[in-house]
Amino acid sequence: MRTQSKWKQAAIAVFCLVLVSGAAPATAGIPTDQIKATVDKAIVVLKDPRYKGEAKTKERRDELKKILFTRFDFAEMAKRSLGAHWRKRSEAEQKEFVNLFTDLLERAYADIIESYSDEKVVYLNERLDGSFVEVVSKIQTAKGQEYSINYKAQQIGSEWRVYDLVAENISLVSNYRSQFDRVINKKSYEELVRLLKSKADFGGAPKK
Amino acid sequence: MNNNSRTDILVGIFVLAGLLCLGYLAINLGKLEVFGSGGYIVTADFPSVAGLKPGDPVEIAGVRIGRVEAIKLADDRARLELRLQDGVKLQDDVIASVRARGLIGDKFVLITPGASEKIIPAGGKIRETDSPPDIPDLIGKFVAGDLTSSKGEKKDENTK
Repeated sequence: MRTQSKWKQAAIAVFCLVLVSGAAPATAGIPTDQIKATVDKAIVVLKDPRYKGEAKTKERRDELKKILFTRFDFAEMAKRSLGAHWRKRSEAEQKEFVNLFTDLLERAYADIIESYSDEKVVYLNERLDGSFVEVVSKIQTAKGQEYSINYKAQQIGSEWRVYDLVAENISLVSNYRSQFDRVINKKSYEELVRLLKSKADFGGAPKK
Repeated sequence: MNNNSRTDILVGIFVLAGLLCLGYLAINLGKLEVFGSGGYIVTADFPSVAGLKPGDPVEIAGVRIGRVEAIKLADDRARLELRLQDGVKLQDDVIASVRARGLIGDKFVLITPGASEKIIPAGGKIRETDSPPDIPDLIGKFVAGDLTSSKGEKKDENTK
């Protein structure tokens, strides 16, 4: 009897150990690690004094783009944002649209990204579903405000590529899909391209 | 006498016709609400589906293509089972969102078509979902001077 209860205790202890050691990797899997690595790299550039200041804008953006392009699948984002209209476009048009969309994201978010000042990024959870994943994270400001941001990624080979960002429950792809859809339905695809192009001029000129 | 029985027969016919109409209505409604075995089911997980009920419509561009069959809880998220009409094909990357007609109107599930070549099979899952913005929550943040629409994105994008 004695030995049996000892065995039982040992078994329970081992079981608990397995639980504890198993818990850590379960919350942060490979997708989270990969996204975190990319975000950390971007933060290093943002903090780097070599890239600070107006004069260095171009170098800084190029460096950031290089980092983000490895993890964020802008072509997939553009495709998803165009939604049902994507299949109606020729290959050349699709290619052009991806470029215009990437420019649009840069115009919309470059300044915001560059306003980074020591916010903390916490990775909370990841929801894995086959070759798709949603990584749940939040940003904490120095003042203690919190903002949620989720990355949606799909596995391509060994890499997890982000195809959507959900900020405070608002999906980037969903937001752009409804906006693009509205322009195309009211006017035309050509009008959307014209709008994207004209904004590219407006947004790009004064910054330089 | 003769006249009277003729009226009786006429009345009988009208009552019968009325009953038939009622029966037809009942069967039609019943099919919609109870049997409804036509079509196929896909699921979709939402962080919140506040206000949505089983039986609410599923729409693409304002056209009804199915209805909410069941609402369940799965891993602290709401799992919807949607019964869609047979002819309807959803791409792999459609976005399902819970919307309301007007500010406080009836809820429905809106599906925006995607670009993917893959089609979601019967029993499959809509992966992209959008929760309705929680209006009291937004008002709260606005009143507290913490409007997330501009600032939230700002911080979020920092991580990119």
